[in-house]
Amino acid sequence: MTGNGSENAKRIADELASCGVKLVASLPDNWVMDVIDTIEHDARFIHVPVNREESAIGLCSGAYMGAMGSAALMGASGFMTVVYALTKINYTYEIPLFLLATLRGAVGDHHKHHVSNGLYLLPVLDAISMRYQIIDKPEEIPLISRCYRHTRTYARPMVVLFTRDLLRRSH
Amino acid sequence: MKYLDCFRALARQRSGEIVVASAGNSCQAWWAVTRDSVGSFYLDASMSLSAMFASGLALAQPGLKIWAFMGDGAFCMNPGTLMVERQMNLPNLTHFLVSNRAYGGTSNAGLPNYKDNDYAAIARGMGLERVFAFSSIEKLERDFVVLEVEPFSDEEQKLEQPPFDGPELKFRFGRHIESLTGANVFGYRI
Repeated sequence: MTGNGSENAKRIADELASCGVKLVASLPDNWVMDVIDTIEHDARFIHVPVNREESAIGLCSGAYMGAMGSAALMGASGFMTVVYALTKINYTYEIPLFLLATLRGAVGDHHKHHVSNGLYLLPVLDAISMRYQIIDKPEEIPLISRCYRHTRTYARPMVVLFTRDLLRRSH
Repeated sequence: MKYLDCFRALARQRSGEIVVASAGNSCQAWWAVTRDSVGSFYLDASMSLSAMFASGLALAQPGLKIWAFMGDGAFCMNPGTLMVERQMNLPNLTHFLVSNRAYGGTSNAGLPNYKDNDYAAIARGMGLERVFAFSSIEKLERDFVVLEVEPFSDEEQKLEQPPFDGPELKFRFGRHIESLTGANVFGYRI
């Protein structure tokens, strides 16, 4: 049972709010559009659409230094562009950062243009020693809070990767 | 306008603002004229992200006034950051674009299109209204400020970088934010 995209987006938003996330900086990916729409219309959050994924890294890192909880939401392709920002800011200064991204290119992704993400996303995460958690089912959504808290303990970034089965839209 | 003279003027006008300095020359210059390591965060080599970092801080702490320095080398890499800044419209953030028409952090290597880039016009084109450009030391105001300065001389290029490792800077700065605001930046969370 995977639920539908809208229901799971609401659960994801509830989980983010429960662990103290206030700022969500996002760039779109078709799979996360329900999540973005939900957060945009949820008064518990300040949603900031950004111009590129690196900006989300900077914005959320600064929010951390001001004691505001935050999450950077993006697609896998966007994530692949932020390696320098993560290693420079979040590893060098040991600034926690919580990211939400799509597990593009995995089994179930119909789009051939995400083959590169299927080949390299997880190896890149391993290469920079970045922890990740794949969430594939609604009952795994509470792992978001555990992972968020881990970034605060670990003082480095971590990413939760959503599968298509979790996020696919109901329409 | 000489780079260091410009920063000395800014430092004289500073009245409690929190500073986020960008890679290379602005870190060197701000450190040289202030030796501040608690109310200033030296975001070294972030390649354009100082203003976004400052925006996150300004959003989180609206009671603080934040200055963000960014060289035009960094700005060229990510001018779209102004779209986000305009959208956020934070009243407590001033973005200083320090224009020396060179990649100052890398031995004054040339910038693309450096002769014709009109940063104030770019900012206005993205909807920013409070845009001020200065090529001499005058009164500086809030929002988006373009400072036209001379590139570092060979001697100035040897100015010391702030002598802190990242985590030390994080804690010095973060503890200062905690003391100013009462916020709990580093507290253990369960």
